[in-house]
Amino acid sequence: MSYPYNLDKNSKQQQLLDGLNELTAHHMEHNAAYRAMLTKSGQQEQGSSLEAVPYLPVQLFKLMELVSVPQEDVVKVLTSSGTTGQQVSKIFLDKETASKQTKALVEVMKPLIGGQRLPMVIFDSKSVLKDRRSFSARGAGILGFANFGRGHFYALNDDMSVDWDGLEQFITQHNGNKILLFGFTYMIWKHVVQEAKLKGKTIDFGDSILIHGGGWKKLQEEAVDGETFKLTLQSVLGIRKVHNYYGMVEQVGSIFVECGQGHLHTPNYADVVVRDPITFNPLPYGQQGLIQVLSLLPTSYPGHSLLTEDTGTIHGEDNCPCGWKGKYFSVAGRIPKAELRGCSDTYAFGGGRSA
Amino acid sequence: MKFYFPKEQGQQTLDRLNARSPLEPFHPVVLQFVAALSQRFVKLRQFPEIVALGYWMRKANITSLQEQWEVANLGRNIKARGTVFHIAPSNVDTIFIYSWLLSLLAGNRNIIRLSSKELPQQHTLLQVLLDELSNPAYELLAERNILLTYVHNDHTTELLSKLCHVRVVWGGDSTVHAVRRVPLAPMASELVFADRFSLSLIHAASLNELEQEKLIQLTGQFYNDAYWFDQLACSSPRLIVWQGTTVEVEQAQQRFWQALEETHASKQAEPQAALQVQKLSTSLWLAASDEASQVAHTSAYSRVILDTVTGEIRERHCGGGFFLETTIQLLEQLAPIIADKDQTLTYFGYCKQQLELLVSIIQTRGIDRIVPIGRALDFQEIWDGQSFLRSFTREVVII
Repeated sequence: MSYPYNLDKNSKQQQLLDGLNELTAHHMEHNAAYRAMLTKSGQQEQGSSLEAVPYLPVQLFKLMELVSVPQEDVVKVLTSSGTTGQQVSKIFLDKETASKQTKALVEVMKPLIGGQRLPMVIFDSKSVLKDRRSFSARGAGILGFANFGRGHFYALNDDMSVDWDGLEQFITQHNGNKILLFGFTYMIWKHVVQEAKLKGKTIDFGDSILIHGGGWKKLQEEAVDGETFKLTLQSVLGIRKVHNYYGMVEQVGSIFVECGQGHLHTPNYADVVVRDPITFNPLPYGQQGLIQVLSLLPTSYPGHSLLTEDTGTIHGEDNCPCGWKGKYFSVAGRIPKAELRGCSDTYAFGGGRSA
Repeated sequence: MKFYFPKEQGQQTLDRLNARSPLEPFHPVVLQFVAALSQRFVKLRQFPEIVALGYWMRKANITSLQEQWEVANLGRNIKARGTVFHIAPSNVDTIFIYSWLLSLLAGNRNIIRLSSKELPQQHTLLQVLLDELSNPAYELLAERNILLTYVHNDHTTELLSKLCHVRVVWGGDSTVHAVRRVPLAPMASELVFADRFSLSLIHAASLNELEQEKLIQLTGQFYNDAYWFDQLACSSPRLIVWQGTTVEVEQAQQRFWQALEETHASKQAEPQAALQVQKLSTSLWLAASDEASQVAHTSAYSRVILDTVTGEIRERHCGGGFFLETTIQLLEQLAPIIADKDQTLTYFGYCKQQLELLVSIIQTRGIDRIVPIGRALDFQEIWDGQSFLRSFTREVVII
């Protein structure tokens, strides 16, 4: 069976529920703010089902720092990517959580790319990795995925132009080998595909697999969907297999990758629930709503059950034609920003948001 | 600078403006113009706030305003100030139209700077204004009013500030800060509208005596105050202060919130998902603070019960049906809670004498309006503690 997509509903749900309830109890004990939030909002600490496990909105990590280990145990701080002026999430990892994250990433990817380190192209510039202790989502993603490859080649220059000569050399050098490619969806589209089209470049990576993630928001604005993305990459760069993944910096261990059928899958130690965007009540499979993500991994901060601002649909459980078990789902996009009126300017005179 | 009205562009339009003499207060042409606008506004049923504006401008109301004005100024020589420069908020709000109308009634020439993001042809309210101003019957006003826009810069703001006798700044604290950097002509004065905070005061025992039907009426009125502008109007209540014993207050809260939930459901408003998430996040954020003792979240509202109300806690507010609550035993205990930026106190279950007593013991700059629940958004000629008509005119003393 393809670990970690091998547990069926009955065994997985019990295992998850026990683990999540333990994590809730752990954070209640070690995090005063988390304890206050649950107690003062009158939530059941121990859920009787996955849907009943208390959750925090992802946005909360932008408003406050939440950490469940002594400050000196924090080895890594992850921050979410945000456009200038936006608040960013801060996620605190201790050694244990950080190593669980690395291990989980290896496990969820193994069924797709195998156990061997492949020659690897990263569609980004090396300069995003400068600060080793505080990583942006981009940096953390790259470092995480870099573990699957060898002979890493960063295909973008600092000005985001493509190093075409370097790429050609890399392909010649690894001729006949399977190549692993990694990058962020929008960066690949904007900087690689567009430049290739503009300059009339075509490349053939041969036996190759691209793993990409980071959201479709900007591509949706340009009316590019998953299928168009895949086909374009196949025709322009000759990439044979293209797999999207969904994940967020706020929840360590929740990396959901696309199977051969194009469905995002939940591994054994993570799950998703879809909720009504207004009432937050759980929705049945097939209905679109807000995605809640669950993961057994976060112990250094209370992120084991999070309500995201993404919308999506669960298509089924244990019965995806690809053969992997677990829930499989798709992501539709981000809920639109709240549009509010009022006496104060939304866009203040001279910039900046007023209180 | 881009002029929306009149059509002629450039410096000469500005020069021409100040060559026109101001009008006498309550000039007949202005009265006609206001009445004509009113009739058009009240028909825009799809925009309740514009209908409310139209209703406020109706002939009967303006006539009574004029009568009060004349009684108060009997035997005095009152003149318009000259040119008033209005800086409108970016989300052109009806409230700035009120201040422009009052400046017109005072007899002033006006320059209105609209947000550069606003396209008048896409904005019903502005469209009606421009349309009426172009009517030959109002030529006197067409010559005395300029609507324009420019990308914010101190240079243009200074040019216009030096032309005017009164500058009116809407848009909250950050706009006020930015515009105040730019000097005015020495003889000019300024009206600014900073960020404000508003609250409700409810007498628990009185609420408990209400029959269900009356209670639903009350929550309906409260709903309008709070939800009409997504709770972000300066005068929308964000904090509810309950007065009574613990038992009384708990009963009142239970009845009130249940009724408000019914009201909310009956309005069939479509809440925005992003706002629901934001309210949940903000309420949990507050729950982590020592001041909060309890939080609750439903699809109609979020509630945060506070033991003490601090300035910092008040600022953590996201609008859209998010309510802070606190309890006092005696009315006097409200006074120390009132901060400088508090504007409107809406109330239920109090008489005028009690409220006058309260006003007398408030030591901060806070509270400019005390009105019954349901009237938070009503406009008054006296706003933020100052009379527009007085600020837009001057008195010549003859002895």
